[in-house]
Amino acid sequence: MTSFVELLLSGITSGLIIGLAGLSVTLVFGIARFSNAATGDTMTLGAYGALMGTSLTGSLLAGGLIGLAAGALSAILAYVLVFRPLQNRSPISSLLASIGVAFFIRAVLGVVFGHDQMVFQMDLVRPFRLHGVRIQPNDLKFAGVAILTLALVFVVLHLTPIGRRMRAVADNPLLARVSGIAPRPVMFTLWAIAGAVAAVAGILLGMKTVVSPESGWDMLLPAFAAAVLGGIGHPVGAVLAGVIIGVAQELATPFVGFTYKIAISFLVLLLVLLVRPRGLFGKIEGVR
Amino acid sequence: MKLTRRQTLASLGLAAGAGLLPRLALSQDAGAFRIGALNPVTGAGGPYGTGMQKMILAAAEAVNAAGGAGGRMLEIFAEDTQTQPQAAVLAAKKLIDVNKVQAILGTWSSGVSLAVIPLTNEAGIPLFHCSGAPALSVPPANEKKLGYRFQATNDRFGRAFAEIAKKEGFKRPATMAFNNASGIGNTEGFTRAWTAMGGEVVASVVYEPAQPSYRAELQKILDAKPDVIVTGSYLADTTIILREWYQTGEETKWIIPAWAANPELVKALGPAVVEGIISVDSISNEGSPAFAAYDAAYQKAIGKSGLGNVYAAMAWDMVTVLALAMEAAGPGADASAINAKMRDVANPDGTKVSSFAEGKAALKNGKINYEGASSILDFDEFGDVTPDFAASFIRNGEIKREYQVKL
Repeated sequence: MTSFVELLLSGITSGLIIGLAGLSVTLVFGIARFSNAATGDTMTLGAYGALMGTSLTGSLLAGGLIGLAAGALSAILAYVLVFRPLQNRSPISSLLASIGVAFFIRAVLGVVFGHDQMVFQMDLVRPFRLHGVRIQPNDLKFAGVAILTLALVFVVLHLTPIGRRMRAVADNPLLARVSGIAPRPVMFTLWAIAGAVAAVAGILLGMKTVVSPESGWDMLLPAFAAAVLGGIGHPVGAVLAGVIIGVAQELATPFVGFTYKIAISFLVLLLVLLVRPRGLFGKIEGVR
Repeated sequence: MKLTRRQTLASLGLAAGAGLLPRLALSQDAGAFRIGALNPVTGAGGPYGTGMQKMILAAAEAVNAAGGAGGRMLEIFAEDTQTQPQAAVLAAKKLIDVNKVQAILGTWSSGVSLAVIPLTNEAGIPLFHCSGAPALSVPPANEKKLGYRFQATNDRFGRAFAEIAKKEGFKRPATMAFNNASGIGNTEGFTRAWTAMGGEVVASVVYEPAQPSYRAELQKILDAKPDVIVTGSYLADTTIILREWYQTGEETKWIIPAWAANPELVKALGPAVVEGIISVDSISNEGSPAFAAYDAAYQKAIGKSGLGNVYAAMAWDMVTVLALAMEAAGPGADASAINAKMRDVANPDGTKVSSFAEGKAALKNGKINYEGASSILDFDEFGDVTPDFAASFIRNGEIKREYQVKL
């Protein structure tokens, strides 16, 4: 039983990271209307930014903020240079362009930092026990950061004027435009948030594991799965779906073996989509 | 004249292509024997690849200084595998099709060698590699017997792990393997040798690369209460697993191959986490005259002791033994004639020699037996060698060798 609870906790922590990445994907999809394949590499960029920031400032917190800024900045740059010129074309153009952006970011990171793994120098601490369950302090911190990030994003989306405009554009871009909502500030805010959220996911992943130019790309499939499972364009759904995927992976492994760990998340995705094709929270949409 | 963008690009491309032409023409020099140095300069093999490549160049220089092999000078074409099969295949294709190399030397990591060997087989040229996967010994990978392994097989690594585990008095080992030919080869080799000694493996796990967490895998292992965990792993996954293991608070010992339990690992995790880990590596033929020659060349090229890079010693031997086989096969010999002479110049019964120059002279009087820098370099029927192993212990952040293991 205790090992079950421990696996559950561990699944929630990795699920939150998947959820954050899924949130970034789903935000872009909801407003810019395409699947951003550069999300994974924006994560990596954020992690490298945080690594550099940490070694410059000596503080993990300041480094993290620098990484976050790097993620936001790169996403805005990608929007200005690549996605804005393509915005009136079919979503496929933007999707393909985003794969190009992903390759570009990864190649630049590879050239600048090399392919050797890098790690965050964190204090590793032994766990404490609560009713026999091992609780790892670092896991709590990661979960705390993830939850704080999610809270901030939802505050922006639901309690600020720009958030209201973003949701209006997500709901119906034409109607939003007719109602006098200027698209430019909305898009800049969107990309800044999407980039920053991806960066947080990348930084947390980097702290849990190691940082290499490929690390974010490897997370792209689970992130897409979370976005689809949550109902594309639905922020709460993406986060919840991420946690479900993370937990399902950890809990299923004692039964199906570890080689099929990755397959489990897709099995969950498949089952949900068979039963509920619009995802957990998605709306039924007519043909646009 | 108004140029469209397409025309501009096309003309630029042509100009760039033209720039390459003279180099190509030069490299097709008739009298030379062309060798591809295909090494892991970047990627997971990065710490070793540069040294390997420089030793291939240095050994070729030594061969050429001795007047060449079989009447031909050696010419080296260097490429980077990036320690990735895709990049390695592209580079190998280029070496074979464009540079027309007649042998490829120094691939590292089993995934890379398994991807490259079909190409060298197809071209009918030898592949000398430092990879451990048992699959590289047998068909289909080695059906033409053109593959030679200068590193111990993972199976032999596993046997060395078992010897060390026995010597250290462990009773309840568990295994964790990265899901590829090399990782699983290590732990299966260990399990075979350990059960043959009458022992029992209490738990085993094969895990996937690039996961955000290995907690579930670890938990399964730790639930079996092992006293030592034997791994077939690489640096990145070992870093993640050990970090999570330390944070579970369990006290277990570890036996880890040295390509994962290296100074990078100590740097990544700090001395407290890695204290007491046993790092196992095959070791060079230290103390041999061939090793001394290699060591001097390594010092000159890299500025560090040759002890730190066992793969560079293998790369040195690759060129030397190939050149000796060429010399034995005589002028103008093709790949299969050279291949037929490999065991004749490296295996016992024959005058023991330690360098190309020495071997070239001794070949005039009959059979030779090259005793290499990396091992005594005797190839079995599969083209595999059996080096010695060493157990090193990490204490206070220092990796110190404590004893040798001979299989």
